Amino acid sequence: MTAARKGAAAVEVHDLEPDQFLEEVHSFEFWFEAVDGYLGGLTYGHAPAAYLPAVAEPDRSRLITALCNYCVGETAALEGASGLVAIAPNRLSKIFLATQAVDEARHVEVFLHRLKELGVKDPEAEVNRQASPGLLQFKRRLLELVAGKDWEAAIFAQNVILEALEYTVFQSHARDADPITREVLQGVIKDERRHIGFGENELGRRLKQSPHIRARIGEVKRELDRVLLDAVEDTMRLVGTSADERHQVVRSYLDAVGRLGFA
Amino acid sequence: MADFLSAYSIQTWLESCPQGYLEGTRFGHLPGEKEPEPLLANDILREESIRTTVQLVVGERCALAASSGLINAAPDEASKRFLATQTLDEARHVEIFSQRLVDPGVRKEKMEDVIRQYANRNLVKFAEVLLEKVDKKDFIAGVVGQNIVLEGMAFSVFEMMHALNQQLNPKFAHTLSGTIADERRHVGFGENRIGSLIKEYPERRPEIERMQKEMSYYMLATFADAFRNNPARDEFRRLESALVENGGSAQWQGVELATMEPEEMETVLATTVLSEFKTRLGRIGIEYQSPARP
Repeated sequence: MTAARKGAAAVEVHDLEPDQFLEEVHSFEFWFEAVDGYLGGLTYGHAPAAYLPAVAEPDRSRLITALCNYCVGETAALEGASGLVAIAPNRLSKIFLATQAVDEARHVEVFLHRLKELGVKDPEAEVNRQASPGLLQFKRRLLELVAGKDWEAAIFAQNVILEALEYTVFQSHARDADPITREVLQGVIKDERRHIGFGENELGRRLKQSPHIRARIGEVKRELDRVLLDAVEDTMRLVGTSADERHQVVRSYLDAVGRLGFA
Repeated sequence: MADFLSAYSIQTWLESCPQGYLEGTRFGHLPGEKEPEPLLANDILREESIRTTVQLVVGERCALAASSGLINAAPDEASKRFLATQTLDEARHVEIFSQRLVDPGVRKEKMEDVIRQYANRNLVKFAEVLLEKVDKKDFIAGVVGQNIVLEGMAFSVFEMMHALNQQLNPKFAHTLSGTIADERRHVGFGENRIGSLIKEYPERRPEIERMQKEMSYYMLATFADAFRNNPARDEFRRLESALVENGGSAQWQGVELATMEPEEMETVLATTVLSEFKTRLGRIGIEYQSPARP
């Protein structure tokens, strides 16, 4: 999505000056146009279907486990993003994070709804039952960084580590998922791409202005990478992903973080 | 509770807000709509428009901080999700009202200075009372302060401004109509969600009633500052007379605002908001406390 505005003349965002670029891409208006493009006409993340194809066992149980853990990750992201609104250093970051908070809330909602469609009677209880301890540990640490008003570390944990990993896992899952789950995941992936973009841009500018931040972020990365990667490996093992595929997801994630300059 | 909260889902919000009444708008109004020329050309009116809009930005920034801060204090997932939609609604309001500062010529790099210069000190105190509860992660007091007191005030203020501007400034009236629709949803959530929590924790009532009384006082003081000794009084009178002479009207709450003195408008607004507070607080089991009059 590089052009915005349906109601006025289209704006090619990459032609804008840096300040105007940020003003544009961190705005509600930009978010509004973006999601309108890919969520219009969908109900709970997928096209309304008169008939929902059944998912056979054991794939159904595995999918439920995966969705439960996606809900844990997305709830962490919802609480992280909303907490970050308060400590964001300027109006544009606050507005962007408000759009991210609603994206994350939508992700929780569509995954809980998908659990219902799969026949789970009490999705929230199921999420609590199946939540990976590693993911819960990551969530606690992320919220500590937010509560400690550690802006750079929290943005790194949330918009780089968590979002990049979710992006990689969801992309991998979408390739083999049933059609309904795939459509839900594809919408989520589009949101995650925007969130990673914000994290990359925000941290990139701060690292340029204050290179000493890099050491602090490196510390956070070492601490949280392992926690999150272990949690993802555990979950993927539970859902029956092959060792090769697990390694591929981890490699893709490390490549993604490496591209952001935090290898 | 689960059934009522399903009406506040992200899905419902997407269908009613971005894909509903905001469809086709730009910064909350129709593309191409502009502030009226007489307002931009008149220094007194232009400054008054900036002063008024600054109060809207201050109020909405408070609402943004409160709704985002309450997400982590919410006791259930569905409330968190509703508050996420409210967070985005409030961020949108900050954005559209900030844009309304840019439209009459406030430069973006000067915006914070302008907001500091014109922000009403009583409104800032009003916000501080609420944000103290949010900082303490006090969900019940936070939601009463935010979704009943702050949003209830905003709802009536926006409605009154909408009535005044419908014919004088359609661009601003359109901007306000979207925010009014949002505020209505927020007030509804506050009433529905908090009633059951107040029943569960009746010991919280006295503290919440004190907060309502304090916030109400600062709200009335803000109204008093805005309406009494208003430097644009003569200019407004001229515009409103012209409106009436041309057969126009600005009806709200059964009165004709276009023929009223500012002090009379203040009374209508204060009476309306306080009466709404009384009704809404009564519904959730909180006894309305009359504030001191500034």
